[in-house]
Amino acid sequence: MRHWLRSYSLLLKWTILRLRTTLPFMFIVQTLMAAGIVLGFAFLIPTHDRVTALYLSTGAPTVALITVGMVLIPQMVAQQKLRGLFDYQRAMPVPRLAMLAADATVWVAVALPGMVAALVVATLRFDISFAVSPLVVPAVLLVALGAVGIGYGIGYAAKPELAGIISNMIIIMALMFAPVNYPAERLPDWFAAVHQWLPFQYMAQAMRETIDVPATGVPALPFLVLAAWGLAGLAVTARIMTRRA
Amino acid sequence: MLLEIDGLTKMYKKGARANDDISLEVDAGQVLGLLGHNGAGKTTLLNQVVGLVKPTSGTIRIDGRDPVADPAMARRVCALQPQAQAPLTGITPRQAIETMARIRGASRQRARQRTDELIEALELAPWASTVGEKLSGGVQRLTAFCMAAAEPGRVVMFDEPTNDVDPVRRRLLWEQVRALGAAGVAVVLVTHNVIEAERAVQRLVILDQGRVVAHGTPAELRGQDADRLRLEVVAADEPTAHRLAGDVDAVEPAVVAGRRVAVPIATGTATATLAWAQEQRDAGRVDEFSVTPVSLEDVYIRLVGTENGADATEEVGHAALAA
Repeated sequence: MRHWLRSYSLLLKWTILRLRTTLPFMFIVQTLMAAGIVLGFAFLIPTHDRVTALYLSTGAPTVALITVGMVLIPQMVAQQKLRGLFDYQRAMPVPRLAMLAADATVWVAVALPGMVAALVVATLRFDISFAVSPLVVPAVLLVALGAVGIGYGIGYAAKPELAGIISNMIIIMALMFAPVNYPAERLPDWFAAVHQWLPFQYMAQAMRETIDVPATGVPALPFLVLAAWGLAGLAVTARIMTRRA
Repeated sequence: MLLEIDGLTKMYKKGARANDDISLEVDAGQVLGLLGHNGAGKTTLLNQVVGLVKPTSGTIRIDGRDPVADPAMARRVCALQPQAQAPLTGITPRQAIETMARIRGASRQRARQRTDELIEALELAPWASTVGEKLSGGVQRLTAFCMAAAEPGRVVMFDEPTNDVDPVRRRLLWEQVRALGAAGVAVVLVTHNVIEAERAVQRLVILDQGRVVAHGTPAELRGQDADRLRLEVVAADEPTAHRLAGDVDAVEPAVVAGRRVAVPIATGTATATLAWAQEQRDAGRVDEFSVTPVSLEDVYIRLVGTENGADATEEVGHAALAA
């Protein structure tokens, strides 16, 4: 475990050094995007009741994490593969998961200010207040685990060109065609049924119902589903990373 | 023996035999040079030692332990400088070397000390604080070398460390390779640079199409060539070159390529041969000539042939031309 932590902290340092020039830019883009979702979607939906406002304000931070985990990460992995970095990393004497964890830490950290910004913008725009539960912390971590796990899975399993296409489809899906920024009831039945098997609505639900706890309390199902997705993604990744020709 | 490889064979799915029954040993403190054409199986061999590629058959032992069963052990014990350029975007050589030494297990103090040592030894100071994307290929390669050499573990393997590196720093690099050996590390050095490698290695293994075709010290590989010299002549024109090739008192057939003639001669006949060459030059049949010891490169080329088979050279028997 000491070896793991030592590797993790050194790799974290390495990743921060490597990305230090792009990180400030990423921070800004992520923050603007999260705030922009709240404001932009408010234009699309001219009349907003509390439900609409709640979905938009909690959907934005969810999309922020999805963007980082399932869009930026697969694209980054694809780029690393193309530049031969992958081969270089494979020869390093570090646990594979420590390597992923170090990367993921940086990317999730990039998304955090945007998530907070989205909530602040939402309270100002919709004049809404939330009943925030402390469970929001594990919720953020689990949504991140799910998104990052799937993101790495895509990045490592798919060819670089394909990974780019898939990640673009995911962001469109998350923004427009998933019950993240609006309730699932607005979708056709068959599509709502499909979403029962996809991670998006559980990500949105975990965030929404910990930021503003419903009368029935925080549900367990989204947490379980997200943990399963995250672990499945990491399992695929670990398998590919340790595979020997 | 620190590194023992026995009967190692690696076949890829497409049926290519990248390594074919390779056996070799490297002891602590020894520098082994691995020579061979592109595709001779050198990189595949290194990747198997470090646990990234699984052998089809045969065994590898690093200090008695098996990297196939325990690849994490192999990566800890062996440092590898892969052939690909190191990922240095955004990172300076100093940061890269020091962080990699720490990742490989060095204490903070040792990592800093080794980084300083290597930067000084390879004269990298002017670029030590320049980010990777602004470095030349040679400096990047040297940085990658230092990243592996800073905390080398017990076995360190360099895959073509001198590519793109200038001649002065190549020499400094070979010194560091020798220093690693002197410090008790087992060193495996893959290179195309046959002549220069001779300065750094104790033993050489020559690979061709996945097989070991020669194995020994540079002196052993020279073998019968040790008491031979090599005469090189640039003739006035091609027909003259062919004619001259038959005139030399050679121990083996001459090789003619265009106007160039290369002939192995016995050390004893060197004086007479030189006088003959001088006469030819005075007569205007030869532009220039030289006599040198047979280099390891000659031995290497004789063993594995030139890159594209015979190239433009053709062997000329003297009998045929003496007529």
